[in-house]
Amino acid sequence: MTPSADSRAPVLSVRGLTVGFPAGRRVVQAVRGIDLDIFANEMVCVVGESGSGKSVAALAICGLLPPNAVLGGAIRLGGTDIAHADAATLRRIRGRDVGFIFQDPATTLNPVMMVGRQIAEAPVVHGQLAPAQAGARAVALLREVDIPDPEGRVRQYPHQFSGGMRQRAVIAMAMAGRPRLIIADEPTTALDVTVQAQVLAMLNRRRVETGAAVLLITHDLGVVAEVADRVMVTYAGRIVESGPVDAIFRNPRHPYTRALLRSMPRLDGDDARLDPIPGQPPTPAALPSGCAFRPRCAMSRARCAQDDPALRATGVDHHAACHFLEEIETLPAPAATVRAPDQGGAAPLLDVRDLRVHFALRSGPLRRRTGVVRAVDGVSLTLRAGETLGLVGESGCGKTTTGRAIMGLIRATGGEVRVDGQEITGFSRTRLRAVRRHMQYVFQDPYSSLNPVRTVAEIVAEPLRIHGLFDEMGGMARVAELFDRVGLSRSFMNRYPREFSGGQKQRIGIARALALQPRVLILDEPVAALDVSIQAQIVNLLQDLQQQLGLAYLFIAHDLAVVRHISDRVAVMYLGRVVEEAEKDTLYTRPAHPYTQSLLSAAPIADPALRARPGRIVLTGEIPNPASPPRGCTFHPRCFRASEICRTEAPRFAGGVACHHPGAA
Amino acid sequence: MIGFILRRLAELVPVVLIASIGIWGIIYAVPGGPVGALVGENATPEQIQAVTAELGLDRPILVQYVDWLRHALGGDLGTSLQSREPVAKLIGQCLPATVQLGIAAILIGLLLGLPVAVASAMAPGSWLDRALAGWSALALGVPTFWLGILFILFFAVQLQWLPSASSYVPFWQSPGAMIANVVLPASTLGIYVSGIFARFLRASLLGELRADYVRTARSKGLRERDIVTRHVLRNAMLPFITVVGLMMASFIGGALVTEAVFTYPGMGRLMIQAIATRDYPLLQGSILVVLVIYVVINLAVDVLYVWVDPRLDYGA
Repeated sequence: MTPSADSRAPVLSVRGLTVGFPAGRRVVQAVRGIDLDIFANEMVCVVGESGSGKSVAALAICGLLPPNAVLGGAIRLGGTDIAHADAATLRRIRGRDVGFIFQDPATTLNPVMMVGRQIAEAPVVHGQLAPAQAGARAVALLREVDIPDPEGRVRQYPHQFSGGMRQRAVIAMAMAGRPRLIIADEPTTALDVTVQAQVLAMLNRRRVETGAAVLLITHDLGVVAEVADRVMVTYAGRIVESGPVDAIFRNPRHPYTRALLRSMPRLDGDDARLDPIPGQPPTPAALPSGCAFRPRCAMSRARCAQDDPALRATGVDHHAACHFLEEIETLPAPAATVRAPDQGGAAPLLDVRDLRVHFALRSGPLRRRTGVVRAVDGVSLTLRAGETLGLVGESGCGKTTTGRAIMGLIRATGGEVRVDGQEITGFSRTRLRAVRRHMQYVFQDPYSSLNPVRTVAEIVAEPLRIHGLFDEMGGMARVAELFDRVGLSRSFMNRYPREFSGGQKQRIGIARALALQPRVLILDEPVAALDVSIQAQIVNLLQDLQQQLGLAYLFIAHDLAVVRHISDRVAVMYLGRVVEEAEKDTLYTRPAHPYTQSLLSAAPIADPALRARPGRIVLTGEIPNPASPPRGCTFHPRCFRASEICRTEAPRFAGGVACHHPGAA
Repeated sequence: MIGFILRRLAELVPVVLIASIGIWGIIYAVPGGPVGALVGENATPEQIQAVTAELGLDRPILVQYVDWLRHALGGDLGTSLQSREPVAKLIGQCLPATVQLGIAAILIGLLLGLPVAVASAMAPGSWLDRALAGWSALALGVPTFWLGILFILFFAVQLQWLPSASSYVPFWQSPGAMIANVVLPASTLGIYVSGIFARFLRASLLGELRADYVRTARSKGLRERDIVTRHVLRNAMLPFITVVGLMMASFIGGALVTEAVFTYPGMGRLMIQAIATRDYPLLQGSILVVLVIYVVINLAVDVLYVWVDPRLDYGA
């Protein structure tokens, strides 16, 4: 679109925005006074943890909040006063002047309507497009977001699209009305890292092409560093710091921003112990007095409890809300991690050989076997006491299935699993149960993996009872000891899971896993559902426990930075196979497999200076359907190094890598 | 599509077969028999024996069943013990009447239930929602026989607009007469199911209105009305189709009370007759036909499902 006449006028201007929700007799303020300006062709990132009010503020901008929300302040979009606009005006603005991109592409689109119709719906509704031209416009829009065969795709339904393609379609839909402002709420959080890189690059390109302003809301500082022009850091419903992306990452002024940056592991980082932010983000219903960050802040003083600091200038276009901005340099440096002594040479505690898990695909009235999904296809791993093996890969690569098959939660189709030298794959349920005493599992989602109707003490005690060891191992005294171990107060023991935050729930899950004094823990994405500041607490806890108890960890995750931080060795999985395994530093600095190389290259790094790093690999396509994997090397259709042999012959795993053409990128 | 239907029909054969054995078992488990009803109270044992033999009821049950099944497969459901007419012919007279009544009742139910559901789902908790919830409760709570009698008293006796006893007039013969005859019993049933439809669809709509794609539609600037009609309704229809199918099926087999109140010549009345006189062939035939229709309606529901929801396909 053409730039507006006065290019210095902001597309969106927000002053003193407040949003409250009635709760009983009072109104809980989710957003407590936000000012922001966004100009054409600018990417502004709002970053914050859950509950910081960032999404609520974005929805408020277009009146998409539930009707009971109480709004205050001024919102001007172009020439329109949104805060006082009637419903009809708001409707005209949505879809025409503002486009929305939401988090989960799986649910954002209507499952029973063709994609093409959904994409072109907004311009038709707003009278910008004749219904007869909607089809052609949808094709053009899909082509602009790099969807191959757009003519065929417009007639398909969302379930026929892959996750990345769905999010491209959502972006096409948001841009259909040529809006001046695009609000993207966690647009890549549900996507795999290689797909995230594609989608972010495409979104940025479309922004430049259309000159639209983009307001991108995220919790991921890596994404911010990759794409933002300006950054706003939100905490407890307010902006605590705002400024150009370089200033925020190079010279953060607010204690929260600094703590946040320090609490996250870096892809290019060292082994320094993570410096978590103590406590947890406040809920809007129970804010502390004065500065909302005060209870978690290392520098809080008496004044912080009384006055809530306002944003003050601290540099060019750089503002922060802290009483003691001038003193902020003097934060203590984090202590270095003490690693467990190297156990190299000792016999492996866990030895997995050629593990295979195949699922039959059945269809038809007689449930005939019509195919097979090789979810895990020949995985070999070893794990020694006190060691952490990271298992990384994108969704659908079989990493979780591997973990579950090792535990015997899913029956292996073939291969061997030895625990302490004992082969367990053929074991009956009873004998497996006995083995599980030494090997426990921690689940990803702390919200659904705890039984909501039992007290947390009962939950932690349950493994003891199942194994008939409750009295033998010390009864409730043992449970109390476990609470101490994972850093939870004993006074919480008789509460129910709903009374705990996500991080606390994950501590309970870890305490439960530790109850039987296992030697191996299989940790399946244990921090993926947690906020950044809480992630660091759990990662540190896991490292402390490993050191104290000599535990071996199989750490399953998709976050490459977290895996680097916690692992000794790392194995990379793609479509059911390990494609590369190496010592952590070797793998991250000198990856040999093209997939590892592209994975590392695609992962966002929380450093805007590295944004234009040379030799970035952005993979095309997405992970193929595991039910019909490509012939030869399963990675070859996406590989930048594939040759003839890769199309026909699967490479063998040798020297830590399964590739016909291993080597530096 | 055709292949899917044929495959599903083939899967129905064992279902119907097993059910027919069940029908036989239940009928023979009930004390009394058709002979007593035929020969009268003063019959001698010889007479009873003669009639029993004549009807073939002295043979082992298994033989009788296989014999019946063989004929049934050929379309011959036997002869009514009472009227001496072929069972197939009797059913052939009553079934269209019941189907016509059932369809009319479902249409009235949808006509009343759909707007109620949409209106209340669009403003949950409002006075309109509460008023409409009251309507559904009333529709469900009032017994159909009582509502039927009220209808007759008011429209047939007081106003004399409509006949008090409804007879079957095929729609294609005389639409006017058909409507006059079917409107009272169909409304009686239709009001009842409209309560079920409204409640079920309202819950389904409210669930869908919380879905992410609705937020997307709002963010595109659609009117709330268009969001419901274009996006939400089709999604909300999925579970609703099952309920409509179940109600239709239940009308075919058992609009007993309503048919009795309006002396409507449908399957319900036919079956009551057959039970009262222990007319085994008529009863077995009727139940079998109702069963087959039940199963076919379920198939139709499945086909409709696949048609409404593109995520399903005929292969599954």
